[in-house]
Amino acid sequence: MNTSPVFRSRSAADNFAVLARWLLGAVFIYLGMNKALHPVEFLKLMRQYDLVQNFLLLNSIAAVLPWFEIFCGLLLLAGVAVRGTAVLLIAMLVPFTVVVSRRALAIQSAQAIPFCAVKFDCGCGNGEVFICRKLLENSLLILFSIWLLAGYGRKLCLRHTLKSCAVTTRPTDAGETNGTI
Amino acid sequence: MQPPDIRTPERRPPVWNTLREALLVAAVGIVLALGANLVSPRGLTLKRNYFPAGISRPVAPATGFGSPGAVANTNAPGSSPAQLLAARLKEQELQSVDGRRAAQLFHDPRFQQGTIAFIDARDEQHYREGHIPGAWEFDPYYPEKYFPAALPACQAAEQIVVYCNGGDCDDSESAAITLRDVGIAGWKLLIYTGGMPDWITNGLPVEVGMRNSGNLRSTNK
Repeated sequence: MNTSPVFRSRSAADNFAVLARWLLGAVFIYLGMNKALHPVEFLKLMRQYDLVQNFLLLNSIAAVLPWFEIFCGLLLLAGVAVRGTAVLLIAMLVPFTVVVSRRALAIQSAQAIPFCAVKFDCGCGNGEVFICRKLLENSLLILFSIWLLAGYGRKLCLRHTLKSCAVTTRPTDAGETNGTI
Repeated sequence: MQPPDIRTPERRPPVWNTLREALLVAAVGIVLALGANLVSPRGLTLKRNYFPAGISRPVAPATGFGSPGAVANTNAPGSSPAQLLAARLKEQELQSVDGRRAAQLFHDPRFQQGTIAFIDARDEQHYREGHIPGAWEFDPYYPEKYFPAALPACQAAEQIVVYCNGGDCDDSESAAITLRDVGIAGWKLLIYTGGMPDWITNGLPVEVGMRNSGNLRSTNK
């Protein structure tokens, strides 16, 4: 049994990363459900960003995104394709954070109020929020996703990576990569 | 004797495997999401234009101020909210009425006879919380649900006042266009631009619950 400080540190970090993975999964399921249960409201909120002018594209985004978030959340909870899912979460969170920030800046400019006093429904799935709180939340979610992408949170995974079981990338991954539940 | 190591060495960089995995998850996720939307009773109809009054007009934030698109125009000459609204209605060939005219139509005996109709284009929750007495519920995002009751009333009416929440709300315009698309003459349709907030401000009665519930609430201040 390896009891070296480095090993214990890595193990502790991995345990926290598992909690982060579950938290991330639960958050995405919760936010996705809120949107999926009220798709028209989500569609209206998507429209406010003025990102697309084609209704078919707008409808498709508003129809797919909530369920896609739930799907990603379930994968994280179960520990399936964790790194690939983390990439997708970052690919969703980063542009969304930029778009929300732009809108908050526009509202701040119109109302001449401090940036953190800006409050609006960003379509995130949890109603009206103060922008600074939203940005903090998104930053945390992005950090957690990067952490998972770095390879942490492998414990209690059904199938951490989808590639062949016979292939391992690093010796330290052996025995942890698959079937460690 | 040790068994032979069946593991093969990594041939591609890990980042490639991760990206490939992400693409696979994305593809499966999108297919499942489309399927979920299809079977969900609340799912969106992809081919339907939910914003017949135009997608590019952004919805106002809950704080009551304009959205980025509107904000960008704040200092442009001739672009006050009222002017923008007037331009929008003109573009859609719709007429508007103010609170005074809406109140006149409400007190007109023809309203009781059914030749003047009021259409509430807000969602069910807002309608139940309080609407213009006798107004028909017609959420333009679920028209098929409200056509059976509202359409005959609109066909019988000579003037139809459509309203929503005033301000930047354009659901009344969407409702009017939807009604026009199913055969209601455009000249009959009048957009009450002030909407429910203006009605309440003017101290006019509000009906709570279902249409003709009899549960009237005075808004006199």
